[in-house]
Amino acid sequence: MTGEILRVLLLGLQLGFVALLYLVLMRFAGSLLRDLRSAEEAQMSSRSGIGRLSVLESPADEPPNGTTIALGPINSIGRNVNNTIFVEDDFVSANHAMLTFRGRSWFVEDQGSTNGTYVNGHRIDRPVALSFGDELSIGRVRMRLDR
Amino acid sequence: MIGSRSRIAWRGAEFRLLFPILLLVPLGFVITNIALAGAPEVGDLTLAVGYVLLFAGAHLLLVVLGHRGDQLILPAVGAMGGVGMIMLNRLPQDLAGTSAFGLELGMAATQLLWFGVGIIAMLAIAVGLRDDGILRHYKYSWAAVGIALLAATLVLGYEVNGARLWIDLGPVSVQPGELLKIVLVIFIAGYLAETRTLLTSASVRIGFLSVPPLPYFLPMLALFGVVMLIVVRLNDLGTALLFFGIFLTMLFVATGRRSYVLIGLVLFVAGSFVAYRLFGHVQARVDVWLDPFADPLGAGFQPVRAIYALGRGGIFGEGLGQGLVTLGGNLTIPFVHTDFIFTAIAEELGLLGAFALLGFAMVLVFRGLRIAALARDDFGALLAVGVTTSLGLQTLIIIGGNTKLIPLTGITLPFVSYGGSSILASFIMIGLLLAVSHRSGTADRASGS
Repeated sequence: MTGEILRVLLLGLQLGFVALLYLVLMRFAGSLLRDLRSAEEAQMSSRSGIGRLSVLESPADEPPNGTTIALGPINSIGRNVNNTIFVEDDFVSANHAMLTFRGRSWFVEDQGSTNGTYVNGHRIDRPVALSFGDELSIGRVRMRLDR
Repeated sequence: MIGSRSRIAWRGAEFRLLFPILLLVPLGFVITNIALAGAPEVGDLTLAVGYVLLFAGAHLLLVVLGHRGDQLILPAVGAMGGVGMIMLNRLPQDLAGTSAFGLELGMAATQLLWFGVGIIAMLAIAVGLRDDGILRHYKYSWAAVGIALLAATLVLGYEVNGARLWIDLGPVSVQPGELLKIVLVIFIAGYLAETRTLLTSASVRIGFLSVPPLPYFLPMLALFGVVMLIVVRLNDLGTALLFFGIFLTMLFVATGRRSYVLIGLVLFVAGSFVAYRLFGHVQARVDVWLDPFADPLGAGFQPVRAIYALGRGGIFGEGLGQGLVTLGGNLTIPFVHTDFIFTAIAEELGLLGAFALLGFAMVLVFRGLRIAALARDDFGALLAVGVTTSLGLQTLIIIGGNTKLIPLTGITLPFVSYGGSSILASFIMIGLLLAVSHRSGTADRASGS
């Protein structure tokens, strides 16, 4: 009789032990997943490219309104189709401006355009460092630099 | 930086994971004590409490010292070691032990003592190794240390079970091979970090294979040749296999060249074949692996008993303390406390327990590789890869041997098998991992926000 009770007791304890073992394992899995997710988010924000341009206003719809353009380290902007960013607008020069990522920040430089390049409404006459969120106007096209 | 160094770092994830693990160990002890005594009494829990205090102390020290390293590896180690301690406490205590310094310690108590030594070494490295210059810049000195360790084994070593691995140092016997492993990883990491660009950029093409430029490669190959030669002379096949795996993995990670792996595998197959032909004990191992039942009471005794034990365990296990460890005063499986500890665990905890143990090992390997991926510099990354490969491969080789997946080679299961040198070496490796991850952790804090 006591043997029976002992066997049941042991079985119960053993089940508890294995359950605890797997509880620990589940917690490990949870921690791993959490870490992976946060790492993914960090990567999304930091490494999914160095920046992009959001098109705010584009009368001829080239680049299309409301779209975003992924940026490489060097981007030429102009009405010539050979530019990295092709802009269809009568007030834009063939080779209008240059948008480059140097070291840790973005710079924009006018390429001798007829109507000029504007940053946050001010016409630029030399290479200017851009911050994320700055507005770039080329002809009648307005774009914003985003992360 | 100076402020963040001394500030307390709440290691929440580590605490949440360690807590249930530290409950697990006393529970396991209680179950074994009840089963062995055949009566519902709690029994002696001194060792379990000691184990809990060791890990709690390690956690607390890391918190107080503001360590920002990985928080999952210490709990993973605690879980593996905990299952091991429960098993070692359950096995006959006269299998091993120390009688040094006027102390008479049984097997489990000795193991706990080594856990203490190992944890102190781990903490010292994790906290003290702020700068890895001492490892990186003196790599040739480390190589010399490694060769000295091997030479010492060759000259002073004595033989246990056909492999000459042990050196007698008064009160304790040590296995220099365990420490050699770490030295080798440090050397290869240092060397590859320095010559990585040369190894990847320049190459000689032979047919469709691009072969590494020999001059850059020679020192490492030479050292590796010496190591392999001596290891083969010492008849320690498990360690040879382990070293080879570590070497190839680190080389691949450093260079990203598949051709190196291919060449390495060809060399491995050729080497295995030659060894099979040349050495009687290699042949014997392979023959036993292919058919242990050919000589079930002689050469095949150990594997046959291991297979029976695994079969008895089944899915749910016989229950802690209820396995057939001894029969008529003799062990059913010889060396159950070192080489065959996994079999004993699988017998008493079943497939479920064995899987859980593998899960903990997997967490350890996963985190080790993650630490490598996040490391700030090449040396740290390679060091982490080497250490992780060493721990993971060791687990794979011995569990594969236990379950008759690959030929059995005597090697320890990290943190689980009985053995001071192995425990100490494994904890030193964990210390290195923590140190590398601490550096990338502080870097994140410095650059982020």
